[in-house]
Order: sequence, then structure tokens, then C-alpha cells
Amino acid sequence: MAVLNMIKQLSYIWRKLGSIHLTVVLCLLLTADLTYGYISINRRTNLFASLNDIGLTAWIETYGRHNLLYTAWFFILLGLLTLLCINTFACTTDRVILLIRSREHFGIQRFLFKFSPHIMHYAMIILLVGYLFSYISAQVIVSQTMVPGTTITLPGKTAQITFESFEPVYYHGDRLAFLNNYVISPRAKLLLTDGDYNKTAVLSYNQPVWFKGYGIFLKNFAPRKKDGMAIRVRIDMNIRKDPGVCVYIAGIILFTAGLFMYLAEWIFFKKYTKESL
Amino acid sequence: MNDNKNIRRLSPILIALIIIGCSQANPDKQQSFVQIGEFTLNRISKDRIDVHDGAGRMLVLIPRNIPAPKDVDPVKIVRTPVKRVVAYGFFDVAVLRALGVLEEVLVGVTNPAGNWYIKEVKQGLASGKIAYLGDASSIDYERIKQQSPELVLTWDPSIIPMLDELGIPCAVTSTPTAMCLNARMRFVQFLAPFFNREAEATAFFDRVNNTLLEIREKTANAGSAPKVMWGDIYEKRVLVEPGNAWVGELIGLTQSDYLFEDVYGTSCIEISVERFLYSGEEADILFTYRTKEYGATSKAALARMNPLFSDIKPLKSGKVYAPLPHYVQSGDHLDEILTEIAAIIHPKLYPDFKRRYFTELPDTDPPDIGGLI
Repeated sequence: MAVLNMIKQLSYIWRKLGSIHLTVVLCLLLTADLTYGYISINRRTNLFASLNDIGLTAWIETYGRHNLLYTAWFFILLGLLTLLCINTFACTTDRVILLIRSREHFGIQRFLFKFSPHIMHYAMIILLVGYLFSYISAQVIVSQTMVPGTTITLPGKTAQITFESFEPVYYHGDRLAFLNNYVISPRAKLLLTDGDYNKTAVLSYNQPVWFKGYGIFLKNFAPRKKDGMAIRVRIDMNIRKDPGVCVYIAGIILFTAGLFMYLAEWIFFKKYTKESL
Repeated sequence: MNDNKNIRRLSPILIALIIIGCSQANPDKQQSFVQIGEFTLNRISKDRIDVHDGAGRMLVLIPRNIPAPKDVDPVKIVRTPVKRVVAYGFFDVAVLRALGVLEEVLVGVTNPAGNWYIKEVKQGLASGKIAYLGDASSIDYERIKQQSPELVLTWDPSIIPMLDELGIPCAVTSTPTAMCLNARMRFVQFLAPFFNREAEATAFFDRVNNTLLEIREKTANAGSAPKVMWGDIYEKRVLVEPGNAWVGELIGLTQSDYLFEDVYGTSCIEISVERFLYSGEEADILFTYRTKEYGATSKAALARMNPLFSDIKPLKSGKVYAPLPHYVQSGDHLDEILTEIAAIIHPKLYPDFKRRYFTELPDTDPPDIGGLI
């Protein structure tokens, strides 16, 4: 009897967790929370900028806990997203079970394509879990400054990075006169070496370099102008080892596959459905 | 149904327990976290403070008599109290003075003796205790090595690789975004643990904070709100203090309109000349960056240096103030500077106020100075 009661309770909780009503409520709460976040973050980006560098756990213990008035929305966001993931998982799993049970009604191809929206839903969960994993597990070397000719060694490895030269692209145009002689594309030439392995790579904004499991990101550089103050050439890099990347890239690939399957079903089977009617 | 009710009743208690559990995850840790703009201090234990400098780099402060932690790069460990310091910026030197350690610890600067107005630095340079290390863009590293500093305070991160090689810890004291008023007032509390001078830092902050409260009280019913701009037009660029900078915030607090309130970013941020002139049409007061030595001798002199200047209201019918040369080295007199700015903006509230850090520019140069320009 006790076991039956427990099964009943679990079944009730599962149904509630997968309910579309919960989805609607969560979406409304997310909207309200993000509005609160938008107001809180205004001119307080300092509070959140370090989240990328020190990771979620250390961030909660420092910036997060000590500025609750401005960070509470983020904690609420984490809770709501967790609930949304659970809601999506329960709802999607219910649908998948139903779909498998009714597989006789479809041909094998049609049956497979019917999974496309569910694949996208599962992919979204993987994406969110990947980002959470990334913020929890990434190791970051913050603001590693290099000047031309200097070399650093990656932690725990023999691999080395040498900053060979800085070859920026300057703006030379008439349309935006105030930008004349400003760097519009900072390009740092790096030599990546590990034993006999040698490779030259160009590091720029939105153009990170990947080497031996580490992502190298350009954070800052100087000088920013051709004829400005006499400032020594330098680049500041963030070097990240982030196991979460694989998880959310898997999520992106899965989501894209689901999207293509959905489009294919819509294009190829819509006609078939109409004809059969 | 009863079970469901129980679950509903229990859920708030469960949530509360989780929150309490999370907040007391490390009951043994004596941890306090202080954020000062982009700088942070995190007291990990009685004998360890992790600090993040303006570039986001972490340094670990450890007392001299305690063994170094093995999980930290030796060049990131600063032994406290620090006894020998090289400082690049005037503000850093002024903060050392506010902490009462300037004479004791400063061993190197990047400005020659002629540029200094701080008595202790002039004397130190004359006696040889403090070394001039060369211009910031061409530092003499051999000289740095000779001075054996235990810490370098700099605004220029490009020296970090060389200092790492020399094994000298370095803290970047500039930040990508301008220091807000709170950070400017509290910066002394960031440097204090390096020298075990927390009490002096608290006293300094309290003094400045009390001054700020007095200013707010005095200007609360000031009536008219003067429009203020802070910046300059140079030959090829226009630089201003953004609204998030301490001067922008202070002007806002003194019941006046800061006309670059909408500009956000680094101190001395570059804007377009059109934006500057747009604000110049309605401004009552202009604070220029230039001192007399750099040509700010009169409104006419400014207009001669850049004819675009002559179209702005402060030059035609308003007031223009230039900093006196020792202003940039007076960070330890922040309370006086705040009061003087408030007095300039609301002269009626501060009758007979004697200015010490700014000078009002006359319309034209006195004959002898005018002839020189």
C-alpha cells in the first residue's frame, strides 16, 4: 500500500512538473525576473564581469552573496531555469513515450522525423547544463599580459605561447573621421610550440586561438591608436580550460540536427499528409 | 490529496533550509569580501587576503612570518606589510601619503623631481632614497632592480612580463572603467592591507564621507542647478570625464547637471567634437584638464588654441576653471577637493571660500602672459 501511495505521489509530481501550465508560469516569471535583472545590471556590470573569470561557485561566495540587492535576480534566474529544464524534460519525455507507443501509425521515416521537436527540447537542456558546467568547472588565467618577444608556459604542460608581433589593422576612411588611425582589428601573431610542434596563429577579438585544450581570448591591447600617447605594445589575454564547451557544443549540434529534421518533416511530409487526406 | 498538501507545506521549509545550508557552507572560514569599484579584497583567513587589482589579476597578501602557500605563483605573493614600493601614478603616491606610509616605503617614481609638489617625494628624490626610474614609456629596469621594490603600483600593465621575470609583484591601479565616487573614496581601503594600515584607511574614508554628507546637506536646497562639463578639446581629440566617473557623480550629488552624464566608460574618455560642442551650448561651468603650464591661462588662450572652443557658453558668458599643478597630486586631500568643487558650483553657499586646487580663468591673459603665448 505504501509503495502504491508513493508511486501515486511520484506520478502526480511528474505530471505537475511536465505541465504546460507550469511552462507558462515559468516563462512569465522569467520575463519578470529578467526585467528586474535589466534594471539591476545597469551600470553595475562590474558585479557580473568577474563571473566569467572566477567561476560560479567563487562568484556566489563573493560578489553574489555580498550584493544581494543587485544579484538576487540572477539567483532567481538560476532557480527558474532549473525548473524550466525539469519541466521541459518531463514534458518532452511524456511526449516521446506517447510517440513510441503510437509508432505503428507512422512509417519508419515519418516516425523518426516526429522526434525533431523533442530533440530540440533535449538539446536546449544539454545547452543549459553545458553552460552551468562551464561556469562551475572552467579554469581561467585572467589578464595574462604579454609584450612582443615574451613567452609563457601553459599550466601543467610543456606547451608554450610566444607573442611574436602585433599587426593591427587601422581605420583609414573619410566616413568616420573621428576613427581615423584607430585600431579596428587588433591582430596578435602567436607562436604555439610543444616539443617539435610549431604553429603560428593570429589572435584577435572574436578570433580566439585553441591550443592543447586551452582557449586563448584577447581581452585588451595597447596602443589603440597609431599616433596617440607613447604606450608600449601589449596584449592582455584570458586563457581558459573549459570542459563545459564540449557539452554545449554537443547541445548546439543536437539542436541544429533537430531543427533540420523539423524543417525536413515540414517540407517533405506536409505534402504527403495533404495527399493522404 | 493530504500528501499533496504536506508537500506544499513542506516546500517553503525545504527552500529555506537549502538557502541557510548554502549560506553556511564554510562555517570555519573567516571570510569577508569587499568590492571597491573593480578592485576586490577577499579575506580567506587570518593570514591570507586575496586581492584582485584593476586588471582583474589576483595577488595574495601573506604576512612576512607565515610560509608561502604552495598553490600560488610566487610572483603573485605580496609579503605584508610591504616595505619598499615603486609607484607610477600621482594618485597612488597620494594614497600612500593618506595611509601615512609614504616616507617609509616609496623607493621609486616615474616623474622627475621637477614635476613633484609632495614634500616627502621631493626630499626623497633629493636624498637618493627615492629613485627616478625614467619616463613611464621607457622604464629603466636595472634601476628598478637596484631599488629592490617588494611591490610596484602601476597603470601600465605592459611592465608586468618584465617584473615577473624580476620576481617583483605588481598591482595595476587603473581600471578599464572610470572610478566612481565610492571607489575613489574607498581606494585607500584597497591599498591599506598591503601595509597593515586598515585603521588609517577607515579614518580617511570616514573623513571624506563626512565631508560628502556635509556637501549634500548644504547643497540639497541650492535652488538653481548649474550645468557643468569637465573635459577639453585637444589638437586631434576631445576628452571628457564620463558620467560614471567620480567627478560626474559628485556634480550630480551637488544638485547640478553634469552634461556628460550619459557618457559611460574610462576616465578621460574620447568623444566626438560635435557632442562636446552640443553640451557646450548650454553649460555654465567648464572644468578643463589643462593647467596654466599647458596653456590654460585665460578663456582667450583656450580659444586661440582651438577656435572651436570659442563657441561654447562657458567661454562666452560662463566660467572656466583650470586645475592648479598640485591638484593631481592631492588625492590625500580628497575631502578638500570635493568641497572646493561644490563651492565652485554653488558659490553663494560657500561665501569667502578660498580655492586651493582650481583657478578661475580670466577672459583675457594679463599682458605679460599673453605675450608669451
